[in-house]
Amino acid sequence: MNLIALAARNVNRNRHRSLVTIGAMTFAGMIMILYASLMEGLFLSTERNALAMNIGELQIHVKGYRDDPDLYTKIEGSEKIISKLAANGMTASPRLFGFALAAAGISSAGVQLRGINLELESKVTRIHEHVYKGEWLNRVDMKGVVLGRKLARTLSVNVGDELVIVGQAADGSMANDLFQVKGILKGVGEEIDRGGFYMLDTSFRELMGLTNGIHEIVIVRDDKTVEIEQVTDKLSAIFPHYEVLNWRKLQPLIAEILDLSDINIYIMLFITYIAVAMVVLNAMLMSVFERIREFGVMRAIGVGPWQLFSLIYTETLIQVCIAVVLAFIFGLPLAWYFQLNGIDLTQFISGMSFGGIAFDPIWRAELTQRSVMAPLVTLVLIALVAVLYPAIKAAVIQPVKAIHYR
Amino acid sequence: MAGEVHTNNPAIKDIVRLESVSKVYQQGQLEVRAVDNVSLEIDTGDFCALCGPSGSGKTTVLNMIGGLDVPSSGQVWLENHNLARLSRSELASIRRDRIGFVFQAYNLIPVMTAYENAEFVLRLQGVPESECHEQVMMILDEVGLKGMEHRRPDEMSGGQQQRVAIARAIVTRPAIVLADEPTANVDSATADALLDLMQKLNQEDGVSFLFSTHDQRVMDRARRLIRLRDGRIESDEARR
Repeated sequence: MNLIALAARNVNRNRHRSLVTIGAMTFAGMIMILYASLMEGLFLSTERNALAMNIGELQIHVKGYRDDPDLYTKIEGSEKIISKLAANGMTASPRLFGFALAAAGISSAGVQLRGINLELESKVTRIHEHVYKGEWLNRVDMKGVVLGRKLARTLSVNVGDELVIVGQAADGSMANDLFQVKGILKGVGEEIDRGGFYMLDTSFRELMGLTNGIHEIVIVRDDKTVEIEQVTDKLSAIFPHYEVLNWRKLQPLIAEILDLSDINIYIMLFITYIAVAMVVLNAMLMSVFERIREFGVMRAIGVGPWQLFSLIYTETLIQVCIAVVLAFIFGLPLAWYFQLNGIDLTQFISGMSFGGIAFDPIWRAELTQRSVMAPLVTLVLIALVAVLYPAIKAAVIQPVKAIHYR
Repeated sequence: MAGEVHTNNPAIKDIVRLESVSKVYQQGQLEVRAVDNVSLEIDTGDFCALCGPSGSGKTTVLNMIGGLDVPSSGQVWLENHNLARLSRSELASIRRDRIGFVFQAYNLIPVMTAYENAEFVLRLQGVPESECHEQVMMILDEVGLKGMEHRRPDEMSGGQQQRVAIARAIVTRPAIVLADEPTANVDSATADALLDLMQKLNQEDGVSFLFSTHDQRVMDRARRLIRLRDGRIESDEARR
């Protein structure tokens, strides 16, 4: 007897019941794809915010600079280093750092001046995309600066306002100049929010009297599949006189938070899957127990327990396969919609950060192979596990009890 | 056991033998003795009726003979098999190959057509499709359902459904047909026609029949009448 043909016929003839079961599984699959994509989006945006706003993936400093960030502890010949990095499949950008006092009206605050190469910085971080008010730096406006959100609040400045910078230049003289607030950043992390003061590298050099050298090189891999630790080792070997560190070493707290959030995401996914499993289990239980009399008759006229078990399993497999295809067809555009539009949480978490990681107020889904395949595979497993109990029950029940089952 | 080929062998005298069989149901605190120490033999080729009032144990005896239910004590033998010693799969094979069931409530598979219901057991036995088709069409013709092959149970009357149930029970030419009140839900004309058909199969093909009934028409045609009362055999009478 052709089991698949018999199972397919049963699925087709029990049309109403099959539609309800397939519908429940399709809905569960769609929700799982959407949820997994949203979680993937949350994880990636957290990682992106943690790395793409400031740290990058790797950094090069002069040994000892991080413990004592001195204006004079510089990397010389950075162009050569950046060219070498490019030859090794990496994009890099130089940075200059200095400390000064910023004042506007009666307010003042200590700031970390950040002199950046406009073109290269935009290739290694996405800070330029996170302007809350005004606009990002440009080469035309040499006196324009962009401030962290909390710093702007501390100084009581807005876009277009002027502020004075006072500090010590490289030659020991006083460095002071007037700048204009060109933009204010969104919340991107505690360090930048409170003290971030972005300016052009040329303006920095002019202000601080620093003619050559840089303080930091920020690096990102062109090929993300290459292991970060492997790259770190490779660069350490290429530049033995410098300190090469990846983001996990640079910000161990962030690394821990991200690891923890990854675990949290899996726990939340697991809880969601359990809830979905209950829905599927309920549908399968109803589907099988509604037909227990029919199965009792089958047993009575000679269908063996294993044959019946296999029949129920094959029917379930057919239904779940249809549900997987439908969940894929309907779940993908649903997740895609949330990838494009996201969920606007501005009212709740705008400017919120935790452990130096800013939360993106627009929560977007991220469709990846994992966020689509894992829910569908899980759905199949859930259905096959869910049907196990009713299938065994139907297979071993005494025919006379099944026939008179109420 | 499975796949073993049997024939209705007249050399086996007792097709069914019950040895001191009892069946006790527990209803809450109460113990209900549905069948009480029944011993009997059904001979090959018998056309036998179990009769008695409701609750006398007729259906329970039939279910135990068919391996659908298990006795609380005693032994049930079908041909040379002690049913208590068989596994679930072996019992399924016996039911598939040696027993035909006709239930009072028809118990057809609702999603299958008349043809598919009648064909089902043959396909379970592994009979090739072309052979199945020939046999099923012949049996549906015999039970008067020619032209109704594609109807589903819910598209047929009670009598027609019972005819399908009989077709399903006899299409494999089993050693014995166990029929539980086969005429209870059909009109007189249909009942007579069904009994004619079963009598013909008994006489021409040697298929044994055991009915549970309290229909006088069935009792009148039975060659042996076993009366049950309160789970015990009250009388066992051979007729004609």
